[in-house]
Amino acid sequence: MGNLLEIRNLKVNFNLDDQVITAVDGVDLDVREGEVLVLAGESGSGKTVTALSITRLLPRTAEIVSGSVMLRGKDLARLSEDSLAAIRGKEIAYIFQEPSSFLNPVYTIGNQLLEAITLHHGKDKEEALKEARELLALVKIREPERVLLDYPHQLSGGMNQRVFLAMALACRPKLLIADEPTTSLDVTVEAQILQLLMELKMRLGFSLLFITHNLSIARRIADRVSVMYKGEVVEEALTEDIFKAPKHSHTRELIRAYEKIGRL
Amino acid sequence: MGSKRLLFGCLIIGIFSLLAIAAPLVSPYDPSSIDQAGLLMPPSARHLLGTDGLGRDLLSRIIYGARISLSIGLIAVGISVAIGLVFGAVSGFYGGLIDSLIMRFVDIMLCFPTFYLILAVTAILGPSIFNIMIIIGLTSWMGTARLIRAEILSLKEREFIQAERAIGASSSRIILRHLIPNAIGPVMVNATLGIAGAILVESGLSFLGLGVQPPTPSWGNILIESKSTLGVAWWITVFPGAAILTTILGFNFIAEGLKKKIG
Amino acid sequence: MLTYIVRRLLGIIPMLLGITVLSFLVIKLAPGKPVMLQYSLNPKISLEEIRRLEKLEGFDKPLHIQYLNWLKNLSRFNFGRSFSDGRPVTEKIIERLPVTLAINILSLLFIFAIALPWGIKCALKEGTFFDNASALTMFLLFAAPTFWLALLLMQLFCINLGLLPISGIASLDFEYFPWWKKLWDLGRHMFLPVLVSSLGGFAGVSRYMRSNMIEAMNQPYIYTARAKGLSEATVIYKHALRNAVLPIVTIIGLSIPGLLGGSIIFESIFAIPGIGRLFYEAATMRDLNLIMAEVVLVAILTMLGNLIADIAYAYVDPRIRYGKR
Repeated sequence: MGNLLEIRNLKVNFNLDDQVITAVDGVDLDVREGEVLVLAGESGSGKTVTALSITRLLPRTAEIVSGSVMLRGKDLARLSEDSLAAIRGKEIAYIFQEPSSFLNPVYTIGNQLLEAITLHHGKDKEEALKEARELLALVKIREPERVLLDYPHQLSGGMNQRVFLAMALACRPKLLIADEPTTSLDVTVEAQILQLLMELKMRLGFSLLFITHNLSIARRIADRVSVMYKGEVVEEALTEDIFKAPKHSHTRELIRAYEKIGRL
Repeated sequence: MGSKRLLFGCLIIGIFSLLAIAAPLVSPYDPSSIDQAGLLMPPSARHLLGTDGLGRDLLSRIIYGARISLSIGLIAVGISVAIGLVFGAVSGFYGGLIDSLIMRFVDIMLCFPTFYLILAVTAILGPSIFNIMIIIGLTSWMGTARLIRAEILSLKEREFIQAERAIGASSSRIILRHLIPNAIGPVMVNATLGIAGAILVESGLSFLGLGVQPPTPSWGNILIESKSTLGVAWWITVFPGAAILTTILGFNFIAEGLKKKIG
Repeated sequence: MLTYIVRRLLGIIPMLLGITVLSFLVIKLAPGKPVMLQYSLNPKISLEEIRRLEKLEGFDKPLHIQYLNWLKNLSRFNFGRSFSDGRPVTEKIIERLPVTLAINILSLLFIFAIALPWGIKCALKEGTFFDNASALTMFLLFAAPTFWLALLLMQLFCINLGLLPISGIASLDFEYFPWWKKLWDLGRHMFLPVLVSSLGGFAGVSRYMRSNMIEAMNQPYIYTARAKGLSEATVIYKHALRNAVLPIVTIIGLSIPGLLGGSIIFESIFAIPGIGRLFYEAATMRDLNLIMAEVVLVAILTMLGNLIADIAYAYVDPRIRYGKR
């Protein structure tokens, strides 16, 4: 399998009032076609910043100092803002940690979903609405008509994450980046969403870059695992290898901690 | 950033306060003495800021005006903070019916545009410096009351207080001990803005002729004359107004600086 | 939503009672007899005459009876007669109210038309020279006494430049103008009063809009909007703006007392025959019926303004309009 995405020597700084903090320090990362890569690590290790850097979605204070982000031979780090906007949502889509706050509270689900559908290819309203219903069915939402008219605060966190997933898949992206998408949900809902995600991956064939601090999720879904620690990737291996024979001391510590509480 | 503003504000207010305190020493003339040489004289070496319509030295009147305006601001706010503290504390401590009665009262007070209330009362009691201080104080305590109440309510929820209560300390004493260090910052900010507000109200009231009565100079009543001297004597409009503006700016700077300091 | 509105509407009953009791007490608890106050300037009036007048006004009855009588009259919009010219107070106020309302509504429109885009621009240019310079200007505007700004602007526009009339709301020969000239004449007279009464609100609203917009731009849903591939303009003007603008609705309610209070000063300066100036005249002549009526009126206007703003906010914000399912 070839590489869909190749990140080389990525370095991101945060320029704060009185100091510069290096959040990502020389990260190399490959995502292969059709695989599930889990980017694991504790909070603050630079996972999210790495993920946001891929399409330059960083906050204002952050700055990509060096590195390249190649998507099938195109360097995203060198693209203009406009060309990058054409890739966001269309080729690379995101789902986030707290779906309820990542959806806009003052627009209906329908409005936000249609926006994603019509943005990258012009469709008339009828077609787009049809597509929206299909997408909601795809993520197994039972009453699509009602949900289209709802506002995010009227739905549960799990429902909102399904809506978010539908929105992200609207343009059939090649890469889906999921940043702790189940962390804010109940365990049962978490299991449902994970299952849905894996099912859709099989059906639609996108690559999944899944970010989590939770090693038991990593073990369940990953083809390969990359472990980040203090802004660097310290270990990268096939899932079974990494849990059988972790090489880096930090990985060993993480795994031991999980074994102790019997959650692995 | 915060400390720079604080310093700047303190500098302005410090200078005005010194001028006000030392008025008899620093002002070049008696504020009510009339220069026979002429009325409405433009600024010159003899009268740095010119003279008014009766030939009185404008600089001296502004310096003496600082005394009146600053002390009205300070005392009015002293009264309003005292009332606000009492209402806010009672409301926060007792809660229940007393709390909701007091808070309804605050809502009702906030429905009255301050200026109408103040004007109504001055009209009845008659305009005097004493009355103005009291009336401004009586009509501007609501913010402090809400603030103190909110502080007490949030203290009641805090863990360390729950814990101290669990080991048997009396809750009102605990809250009082923690309230003072916690509330002093916000109350100071509020009070500083309050002084600025009181000075603005006083100047407006005096400008309308219902505040400090001539011949006692206040920044507001010096400006009364400026309407009839527009186009003739610009200094009468510009300088007293600039004094008000600078003082208000000073207090606002202090408030902003304090706000930044306490986060 | 409906229960919210009903609850708010029921809430105004105790408020109204409170407002009337307070207005009543403020006037009645004043030392000195009201009739004495009124005629204290007239040395020729005899003691019997004062008694007779007191009886006429009902001032000899106990306080709570006086209050109830007053309240009864008030509910029929009868505020008694003005002490100064004997005309019904209601008539005098109704005559003057339109001008004040017109100026205040124009000011509100003016404030929002300029302050909202201004605040948005500052937010988008956060930390630049433009933003800092505008912050300083607003800080100055906020600190300057309105009446002083009015005087300076009069000096500039009316005297130095000679562009605008100095006072009143219409020229002397207004009656004989064709309609377009009437409009022009009104506009020229209204310009400074509206500008002056807007300045303070302008500073406040633009700063508020700026901070709302900055806050909205830092919300998670903005990342979503960008991640979808939306253009920056759509991100700003669709996703951030609506969220930042909604709370502004409540500001309209909150700015009413300030505007009405300001009316007293600028109507006096510009010689505009509105309720602000009427109140000023009433205060200088101790016209108690008129004072009481106006205090109650502006308090009720303020309360209604807040009520309408709160309900409007509940209507425009879907989180309140449609509760949780």
